[in-house]
Amino acid sequence: MSVLGVNGAGKSTLIKCLNGILKPDSGKVSILTFEESDNGLVNVSELDLVGLSRVMSYVPQFIRTSFSMDVFDVVLLGRRPHLKWRISENDRNKVSETLRYLNLEEFAFRKFDQISGGERQRVVIAKAIAQDPNLFLFDEPTSNLDLKNQIQIMKCIRKIIKDSKSPKSALIAIHDINTAARYSDKIILLDNGSIKAFGSPNEVLTEQNIADVFGVKSSVVLTDENYIRVLIDDEI
Amino acid sequence: MELIPTMDSISVKHIEKGKHQVFIVLVLGILTFLSSLIALGLGSSENLDMTKVWKIVLFDIYDFFMNLDIVLENLWHNLSGCFSLSCNNRSIMYGIDREGTALQNSMIYDWRLPRILTAIVGGIALAVAGSLMQGCLGNPLVSPLTLGVASGAALGAALAIVLGFTILSIPSLAIVANSFIFSLLVVFIIIQLGKMRSISAESYILVGIAITFICGAIVSTMQYFASDAQLSALAHWSFGSLARPNKKNLIFMSLVLIAILPTAVRWSWDLNALSLAGDEFAISTGVDPVKLRKNILIVSALMTSIIIAFTGLIGFVGLAAPHMSRLIVGNDFRKLIPCSAIFGSFLMIFADTLGRTLFAPVIIPVGVMLSIIGGPFFMYLLLKRRVQH
Repeated sequence: MSVLGVNGAGKSTLIKCLNGILKPDSGKVSILTFEESDNGLVNVSELDLVGLSRVMSYVPQFIRTSFSMDVFDVVLLGRRPHLKWRISENDRNKVSETLRYLNLEEFAFRKFDQISGGERQRVVIAKAIAQDPNLFLFDEPTSNLDLKNQIQIMKCIRKIIKDSKSPKSALIAIHDINTAARYSDKIILLDNGSIKAFGSPNEVLTEQNIADVFGVKSSVVLTDENYIRVLIDDEI
Repeated sequence: MELIPTMDSISVKHIEKGKHQVFIVLVLGILTFLSSLIALGLGSSENLDMTKVWKIVLFDIYDFFMNLDIVLENLWHNLSGCFSLSCNNRSIMYGIDREGTALQNSMIYDWRLPRILTAIVGGIALAVAGSLMQGCLGNPLVSPLTLGVASGAALGAALAIVLGFTILSIPSLAIVANSFIFSLLVVFIIIQLGKMRSISAESYILVGIAITFICGAIVSTMQYFASDAQLSALAHWSFGSLARPNKKNLIFMSLVLIAILPTAVRWSWDLNALSLAGDEFAISTGVDPVKLRKNILIVSALMTSIIIAFTGLIGFVGLAAPHMSRLIVGNDFRKLIPCSAIFGSFLMIFADTLGRTLFAPVIIPVGVMLSIIGGPFFMYLLLKRRVQH
């Protein structure tokens, strides 16, 4: 699921409220999981951070490293909510599996600050997978990446959701309308802190909605593979 | 057939790398222990050769366990003597035949051993405090003195030396108590800062620098009006020397360190997450960065102030030891903390022994020696690393 909207519409705020970085001024945040509590509804504000990090994993937009570590150890941090002090065999194997899964084997013992931006993003995603959450949260995961890396990351996120044994979802705040349309099942269109539209890409990405929210003229076409494609024309 | 869990080849490599690092740390630990024994033999008055030192120490250890009943009785006598405030310096080895002359024994046990133990305790505390602070503030430039703990201590010492303003009236402890209490004041300011929910790592550092400036200005003002004798006393305080703490001080420092260290080590995993990529990353890993940072700063400021109050300003070891350790074990705090501790005590022993022997009988203070020897070595290590990558 993607979250679209202009700068300041509340995309990041929504995601940060979900993962506990920000506390909502009013109301409460609940998410639906398929295990845990009886009716499957988890109230985010009632969980402590460790509990929260077992349910969801957040991939921030920027990763500013002050002290570097081996890529393996970075991914191993994803296991932290699950372990106390010792690293079990299971934890290690889970990390190795994840690294292979995202084709990061060759980087396993490279330093985190010596790999490219796209690789680093993939490492952080690997860490999120190792955390084994129900919900992945991404804050503009593709904004700093080149075209090929953008596609790779989005494919990678789709792959995680499709491949996982237990049901998982991903919520992605994103700027690129076409990437969102291409890779998401559902889109939330935010406008000034409230939901303007919610539904499948075809329902949400109408010329009218885009004009209302982004203030640009556009034409929406359907590609041969049945994907929505938005061609931006000019500001209104 | 029994099911053997298969280890992934990457996992195996990770385990091997970890073992290799632990091995290096162990070797370093043994080297540090050996160097402390060598340091026991070196001194300005008489150079005992290594075999003599070994003989004295090993025989005493042997005697210690062979005559445990006498030792314990003497220990009890000493303790009860100390509590009734009439501490006669009766050795716990009293009444046992020992290797070496009384002078040699006294030199080793009364002068050099406390000094070397102080070097070890101080090195551990400052280096661990340094690595914790660098980690939780996400800044490699931080040292235990950054938060202004040391300038608080200097202010306390200056008040005692120049103005005669003392909090404890026991003369032998006046300066120590003053500097300790004033550095605790700085710790208190840090605690108050930590109560603000939104305080960032940068704010801590900036407040620390501000405290340093404020205390420095007050100290300078006092120096301006101080007499020559007071000035030199103050200068001597700020050099940082391992000769100052006596045995009781040493026991006190060690006990505090032993009480505090385990709590610090417990935060290793959380620190790994926080130091790698900052607050948001830490939260997504289930770590509360604000709370962790507050706790760690309090603990490391306490460790620093307890050492600095007794020894004077020794700062460099807290900056250099963590970085040297990082070159060996990386940034995993589960290994970084013990490795920094070892490096810290090694640096202190090395610098102190050099300071004692280089221009004997003149003793160069350890704080000065550390910076002179450690500085270039530190630069060499860092630059070499840059070239390699």
